Amino acid sequence: MSAARDVVDATGAPVVAGTDETAGVANWSLWIGGGLVGLVVVMALVSFAWTPYDPYFVDVTNRFGGPSPTNLLGTDQFGRDVLSRLMVGARTTLFVGIVSVGVAGVVGTPLGILMGMAPAWLHRILLRANDLLLAFPALLLAIMFAAVFGPSTATAMVAIGIGTIPVFARIARSGTVQVMSSEYVLAARSAGRRGVRLAVRHVLPNIASLLLVQASVSFAIAILAEAALSFLQFGTPSPIPSWGLMLFQAQSVLAVNPGLTVWPGVGIAVAVLGFNLLGDGLRDRFDPRLAGHQ
Amino acid sequence: MSLPTIRTRPGDRLSRALRGLVAVAVAGLVLAGCDAGETSEDPTSATEAGSAAPSTSETVATTGTSEPSETGGGDGAVVLGFAADPLNLDFTTTDGAAIPEALLTNVYEGLVMVDQDGEIVPSLATDWTVSDDGLTYTFTLAEGVVFSNGDEFDSEDAKFSIEQVQSDAWTISLKAQMDVVESVEAPSPTELVVTLANPSNSWLFAMTTRIGAMFSTDGVDDLANTPVGTGPYEVSDFVPSERIDFTRRDDYWGDAPAYADVTFRYFSDGNALNSALLSNGIDVIATVQAPEAISQFEGGDYEIIEGSSNGEVILSMNNASPPLDDVRVRQAIRYAIDNEAVRATAWAGYGEMIGTMGAPTDPWFAPERVDDYPTDTAQATALLEDAGATDLTLDFRIPNLPYAVNAATTVQSNLAQVGITADITPVEFPAVWLEDVFTNKDYDMSIIAHVEPRDMGIFADPEYYFQYDSQEYRDLLAQADQGPAEDQAATLQEAGELLSSDAAAEFLFLAPTLIVTDGTVTGLPVNEVSEAFDITVLEPA
Repeated sequence: MSAARDVVDATGAPVVAGTDETAGVANWSLWIGGGLVGLVVVMALVSFAWTPYDPYFVDVTNRFGGPSPTNLLGTDQFGRDVLSRLMVGARTTLFVGIVSVGVAGVVGTPLGILMGMAPAWLHRILLRANDLLLAFPALLLAIMFAAVFGPSTATAMVAIGIGTIPVFARIARSGTVQVMSSEYVLAARSAGRRGVRLAVRHVLPNIASLLLVQASVSFAIAILAEAALSFLQFGTPSPIPSWGLMLFQAQSVLAVNPGLTVWPGVGIAVAVLGFNLLGDGLRDRFDPRLAGHQ
Repeated sequence: MSLPTIRTRPGDRLSRALRGLVAVAVAGLVLAGCDAGETSEDPTSATEAGSAAPSTSETVATTGTSEPSETGGGDGAVVLGFAADPLNLDFTTTDGAAIPEALLTNVYEGLVMVDQDGEIVPSLATDWTVSDDGLTYTFTLAEGVVFSNGDEFDSEDAKFSIEQVQSDAWTISLKAQMDVVESVEAPSPTELVVTLANPSNSWLFAMTTRIGAMFSTDGVDDLANTPVGTGPYEVSDFVPSERIDFTRRDDYWGDAPAYADVTFRYFSDGNALNSALLSNGIDVIATVQAPEAISQFEGGDYEIIEGSSNGEVILSMNNASPPLDDVRVRQAIRYAIDNEAVRATAWAGYGEMIGTMGAPTDPWFAPERVDDYPTDTAQATALLEDAGATDLTLDFRIPNLPYAVNAATTVQSNLAQVGITADITPVEFPAVWLEDVFTNKDYDMSIIAHVEPRDMGIFADPEYYFQYDSQEYRDLLAQADQGPAEDQAATLQEAGELLSSDAAAEFLFLAPTLIVTDGTVTGLPVNEVSEAFDITVLEPA
């Protein structure tokens, strides 16, 4: 079957899923995605307890040091250890992902359920309003936030989160609309369940898997957005390690030291790929339709 | 308290953010209005907080599409690449260093000018005498000088030009340096007599800057687009944020410069500027913006010229606000900071150590100040303990300029070694930085390059954002300006020493003048001694 599932990709357009996997085929996306995400998470967690060097320690006698036994990934133009900064940068990356997806999920999900359960006229108004927000680029919003509140990790993640709210609202809405027409909801409604109780007990659990998939995809988008913002200096300010900022600082010495761009670039790529694959894998695993089919 | 200067650097955030490691002290930002109290009493008065505002122009450099320029030959052309672009061509009402950089000496001339050694030498005035009381300057003007609009230059024009500065026609705050002039007379077409209200050793130097530019009485109608001066070049085309074309004048009164056509091209991004030279889009990078990447020009035909500038990169400390009101804390910070390391990371190791306010081209420069505060963490820790200021956290509010961010990163690391936490907040430059740090003085430490020549006077103003309040210092500056000229250097050295021992600020280093040529041009001005980028001395190799 080729169900038009409302998983929304980076551009906000619904993605039509391909043919479902047949049972028994290993879910490679899930495992590879999970592995890559795990790598980033472990790096971030370890950085709380230990990094090879102080990521802020400037040692000008050791600038542009290539990879060596003492500095595995070399040193940057301040003589700071790249590996240490990469590890602490993973923290920033994950933190941004968690907070922005959290903001989007916490606000967007109830909004979407409300839309899905609202009377037709209200539904239509809210949906159009949501579409209007969806059309507004999250990056632009984040740049506006940075202009008003000053660039920081916090403004970046809140702005990315706000920018992602309409995506979650749309996913939650379409899931809710489906669930609302299901027999168990009709049964619950005929038994007198209404409003919030209905939403929490019957709708939310049944759209949770959709949301989880979207969260993983949005996580990847958020990571990319934070990296872009930091690269443009609208995000995490120097000298706090952030992969986007590391990339920005490396590009200023690109002509003489191209190697410095590699590691933050790899970090971003791994994290984004990981969360995207994880999202794909989760979708394959949890999609309620797929489950029903099997 | 308007800050008209903000207009001069429109600050397109995106393009600024996109540029690479940029820097170089070029765009002096006059922080007008804020210096209302500043008058001629400020001896070496420099009312500008120069900012090494790099390329904030809106143009995205179009390196790839640029046409290769012709070079060589006595009547050839040369293209120079710059970073900070002028908003218009009128420095009488628009602040910023880019306008005088392009126009002074080349289009406008003053009565006197400053040579590469910092000496004041004749220009439109062939000779001058100063009365014994230091109040009356009598200039003998050159004959046969013609403005680019055909008018003859005579003492009436000179009188008009000086009086214009004092009138409302000029709006930039630098005009205050002309306040000391009491009267101007033009007894004959070649004789000009200027009387000062009180003796001033700095006034004649001020006359070498933009305020000393000579205008034609009939040539000030459209300064923003059509500058009319006596210089060897005139502006033949001006495309804002892109380029200025200069054409050599045939009726110039002095020696004709070597190049018939000179073009200034403006690039918002330091790496784009480098690429323009690599792709032959320009012949000279007049102010290198990406010093880290300069090594790509080493070897081959390229020539890297390093000279001295007037851009003191200063770690400012809020002298009025605890804990930095304690001299021991400020001294501790000076001991803690490794200036060499800061210079290495902020400017790729280029630039000179200064130790106090001033540049090596200033006659009173004292090299021994450099050794006042060697890097000494033990001494710094002892001073902090002595002051009872352990476990400090300081608000380190810096402009979001690459050199400032890079310098701050190193300073933060240095200070961490002595237990000071410097909380870096990069703020948008110029608008937010001017508001927070410069105007509201809501900061503990900051970093900015002060690019005005001979600007020791900024420390004499307790209202200036350093909030350094020393009567002794003010007295020394007044004495230097109004006392006998031969004592000026010694007195200013004393003032510089006082600044250093009071740790009024940490003088990180002097930004270099870095020029790269493709080897086809010679004669480039090595030291940035005046506000002008002198193109009249350029010659084909």
